[in-house]
Amino acid sequence: MTDVTNTPVPSGPEKSRGSSLYALDKRTKRRNAAEARFKAYGIAAVCVGLAFLVILLVSIVRNGIPAFTQTFVELPIYLNEEKLDPDGNRDPAAMSKVSTFGYNPLIEDALVQLMADNGIETDMDGPTLRKMLSSSVPAQVRDYTLANPDQVGETVTFRVLASSRVDGYMKGRVQREDLERDKNLDAAHLDIVDQLVDAGAVERTFNWAFITGADASESRPEQAGIGVSMIGSFFMMIVVLVLALPIGVAASIYLEEFAAKNRFTDLIEVNISNLAAVPSIVFGILGLAVFIQFGGLPQSAPLVGGLVLTLMTLPTIIISTRASLKAVPPSIRDAALGVGASKTQAVFHHVLPLAMPGILTGTIIGLAQALGETAPLLLIGMVGYIATNYPEGIVDGFLAPNSAMPAQIYEWAKRADPAYYERAWGGIIVLLLFLMTMNIIAIILRRRFERRW
Amino acid sequence: MNQMPMTSENVTTMPTKNTKITARDVQVYYGDTHAIKDVDVDIEDRTVTAFIGPSGCGKSTFLRCLNRMNDTIDICRVEGAIKIDNEDIYDKKVDPVQLRAKVGMVFQKPNPFPKSIYDNIAYGPRIHGLAKSKADLDEIVEKSLRRGAIWDEVKDRLHAPGTGLSGGQQQRLCIARAVATEPEVLLMDEPCSALDPIATDQVEDLIDELRSQYSVVIVTHSMQQAARVSQKTAFFHLGNLVEYGETDQIFTNPKDPRTESYISGRIG
Amino acid sequence: MPVLWIVAIILALAVIGYFMGRYRAIASAGGDSRKLHSLPNYYGTSVAIFTTVFSLLVLIIWLIVQPLVIENRVSGTIPAEAIPEGSTLGLVMSDVRRVANGLDIAVAGGAMTEDYASSIRTEFTDVRDRLAGVGVALGSDVGSSTLRAAQLYRTMSATGALLMAIVVLAIALGGFLFALMRTHKDFRARNVVETSIRYLLIGAASIAILTTVGIILSLIFNTIEFFYRYPAWDFFFGTTWAPSFGGGSELGIIPLLWGTLYISFIALVVAVPIGLFAAVYLSEYATPRIRAFAKPLIEVLAGIPTIVYGLFALLTVGPLLLSVFGPNSVGWMGAASSVMTAGLVMGIMLIPFVSSLSDDIINAVPQAMRDGSLGLGATHSETVKQVVLPAALPGIVGAVLLAASRAIGETMIVVMGAGAAARLSLNPFEAMTTVTAKIVSQLTGDADFSSPEALVAFALGMTLFVITLGLNILALYIVRKYREQYE
Repeated sequence: MTDVTNTPVPSGPEKSRGSSLYALDKRTKRRNAAEARFKAYGIAAVCVGLAFLVILLVSIVRNGIPAFTQTFVELPIYLNEEKLDPDGNRDPAAMSKVSTFGYNPLIEDALVQLMADNGIETDMDGPTLRKMLSSSVPAQVRDYTLANPDQVGETVTFRVLASSRVDGYMKGRVQREDLERDKNLDAAHLDIVDQLVDAGAVERTFNWAFITGADASESRPEQAGIGVSMIGSFFMMIVVLVLALPIGVAASIYLEEFAAKNRFTDLIEVNISNLAAVPSIVFGILGLAVFIQFGGLPQSAPLVGGLVLTLMTLPTIIISTRASLKAVPPSIRDAALGVGASKTQAVFHHVLPLAMPGILTGTIIGLAQALGETAPLLLIGMVGYIATNYPEGIVDGFLAPNSAMPAQIYEWAKRADPAYYERAWGGIIVLLLFLMTMNIIAIILRRRFERRW
Repeated sequence: MNQMPMTSENVTTMPTKNTKITARDVQVYYGDTHAIKDVDVDIEDRTVTAFIGPSGCGKSTFLRCLNRMNDTIDICRVEGAIKIDNEDIYDKKVDPVQLRAKVGMVFQKPNPFPKSIYDNIAYGPRIHGLAKSKADLDEIVEKSLRRGAIWDEVKDRLHAPGTGLSGGQQQRLCIARAVATEPEVLLMDEPCSALDPIATDQVEDLIDELRSQYSVVIVTHSMQQAARVSQKTAFFHLGNLVEYGETDQIFTNPKDPRTESYISGRIG
Repeated sequence: MPVLWIVAIILALAVIGYFMGRYRAIASAGGDSRKLHSLPNYYGTSVAIFTTVFSLLVLIIWLIVQPLVIENRVSGTIPAEAIPEGSTLGLVMSDVRRVANGLDIAVAGGAMTEDYASSIRTEFTDVRDRLAGVGVALGSDVGSSTLRAAQLYRTMSATGALLMAIVVLAIALGGFLFALMRTHKDFRARNVVETSIRYLLIGAASIAILTTVGIILSLIFNTIEFFYRYPAWDFFFGTTWAPSFGGGSELGIIPLLWGTLYISFIALVVAVPIGLFAAVYLSEYATPRIRAFAKPLIEVLAGIPTIVYGLFALLTVGPLLLSVFGPNSVGWMGAASSVMTAGLVMGIMLIPFVSSLSDDIINAVPQAMRDGSLGLGATHSETVKQVVLPAALPGIVGAVLLAASRAIGETMIVVMGAGAAARLSLNPFEAMTTVTAKIVSQLTGDADFSSPEALVAFALGMTLFVITLGLNILALYIVRKYREQYE
């Protein structure tokens, strides 16, 4: 600027009085640069954090969305009477003697016919063509036939699952060169698929079976769904809600309203704050040792999972409940005591209802936490159990072995077939949708009933 | 309101050679609240100027304008001109950091940093690069502590934490800390309100000594304190500067009836 | 009588008691409920409480104690020579239980009569065959002493159950009558009910203690069991982890601890600078609007379940790192699972943890400190670096310790992202494994719970628990001390 910059930087204690404020000395410039840098680090850190979130969400959505669609083949199958019902009396009991295996020739014939109908030239025989379909198809046809014996002898058009390779090809996951070493499918199959797509016999549609269905065996990823483990999670959450809410609220009321300042209270407080930070896997060990080994409860049962998650969730619920109890001003208690209510009546008639929205918010957040927890479930046997059946009735729901959503996702992620990875990501979308819904409910509750004193 | 022009007339007389700070037509807004209205004032060098007035009258707000501490409050907006040595401190070219080195501040509650006594004093000189060497810094620290009239009490425990001192000592430490950066103006926001009478007495003595080198502006609640330590007094009321003049004159012969009511204890 | 029935009877009695108590109280006041000490409901409730509480308490205690007593008595009857070579009393007892259970099923299924079940002898019948016939498979032939013990077990259980039903119902009835007798208009029913409520609340609060006790007991007993079978010294100081279920395992914890600490270290290296700078920016610089936008978004990272991070590590980050550092480029990395994969993802998970804790702590530094520094002409960053952060340092250290404890106890990310090989290596691109991952792998197999290979999981759990507990206590202590400083 002007002459001021030429003068040496004032550095001695005898700083020149009256130096101009309009001129920035070198040191101040340097310090301002440091300031800008520091601020930039902060912005960068926030941006990195947000970037991680975006990357995470994008990779979940991009990898998981395909799980919600599935490739189906429209296949007219002639239900050959000679093979399915040689006696010709349409007796389901007699017909059930034909095993699923016995339906394969019908399907193979149908496929060959399909090729011919659509003018697709191929030198593949029936069994080779059948590799394009899921191995669940014979069972599907058999179930239909046994349920509708009068249809035998007719040609029925089935919507059958394509095999996971074909599905993967439709979704872009499987390329022709990937199939070179594949024993199940050849590139030639994919040419046929292309032609079938053009003919409208193969299409990709929304896959309800993924949301409502059961898990399938290792070799049939196209059939696997998260529905049954969702039910498992549901029963666990019931256990958590029924146990953790009352116990948590009761414990909080005691600590916040009644507890004397003594060692016992301190002990409880220390325990709660430590339990909140104990690794979840340790709760799994507790569940295994106490509920299964000592208590004799069945392995893999949602009841046990629910108990373990209850113990894990309790500290969260207690901490948030205490905060909402604390937020109720003492004047409310004084007012109730002033008209002759007992301490208990004051708490239960006045304080608790006022604190309820906060308590519910905390409980929902605690439940959401419990819903996504996986590690303790590994130890009580909820992973490795293949949840293929819906529980029969409520007692079964609590006690029969089942999986849970996060455990199911883990199970899929462990399987070798990459088609299962897609299912795992899809499962995560379902899980996150649940968590998001719960958190939104919690936020709405808080906004709606938040009271400022 | 017809007194206003008269008092304004008084202040807007030509700044004397001795004038350090001039404020013209200063307005301060907190969001929608108009906290300071049309304040004009000339503050002299090597003089203690007291700002008095009832709570919420804007005296602290105005004080914080003088070294732009209000910049740290997002909703605060300052209009008008405040000049130090004829340089507008709200000019775009002015870096508040440099300004604050020139205009030091002592706060209502003693706020020593959780560091040693030595580091508390050395903090300002270090960030402003006032010391060339360790010996230099030692000298600044000693000089500042002496000027803060606390050297004798702490010279044996310079490396003890500053938070361990008593309230009065802490406040003198904060004054010494402010002095250490070689400011030209020293702003004090109710420096004695958190202190007991004895500590207050010591701090007041200190303020009187500081007058020889600095322009000291002090906000105070206590009229007695204003009368004891200041040469000039400004009376604020509801965001207006009601009256400004020699301390003796304000206290013995106030021109504005509002000042008189305040002095005599009817408002405030 | 099944337990469910006993409970149902007690509850029914309680409901009856409620109405009778209420009625009796009002009758004693001559129909004018204003003359009562308490509201009528309290009289009813007090009767219900006396009916249920003590009887249910006894029921629960009985259910826990009876098996222990029977076990003890029955195992006393098994002669030492009946325990086969290489077996233990515990194993024989589990056979006994299985046989007893089999006989129960056989009787319930109608395959045997009650008399027959309690009188069959191994000398005349092949019990194993008979039981297999009703669907109870036994691993070995049933010896005569085992069968005798099983029969004793059954008799004692039956007697115990009968006795329990009588005692519990008697207590319920006693409480019912006692409370009903006391019901009178001057009886302070409300105080009784409120005291009971108080105890109920205390009971609920004590669950926290019970949980801790449960954790500690389940860890300690199994850990001791483990140390009987495997020397503690070799466990704590062994540098090889090579479990083999055929025996001859080497179960040294050092490589696992190394993997745990290495991964946690990388996680902290990622999370602490990002989290801390983000917290500083959001609390010191950001405008309210940016803060209101960015803070909740970053905290979303904390609400995402760890299974999601695990999958992210396994399927996204791992392959990504492999393509950058793998055999096709620099060749540092052999597989997608590595310390770096798990550490990086865990770091992302911990960012919101560090940032929101630090945010709280930075906000707790009084504004007066900032004013003091700014008033001296310090820039904002100088104020943050030299005044705010040093003042907040203890709290931030506490937050970092809490984050470290999180990282050490984290399971899913390491199970899915770190690999399974226990290895002592410095290369962060190699697969290593952790304490938590091995707890999972040792307990999810079909291992026999009495083998050292399964029991070691409890010793690992114990180690994990002690380390994280220590870190938590230290961190909470530091944070609390720090809070006191400014309160």
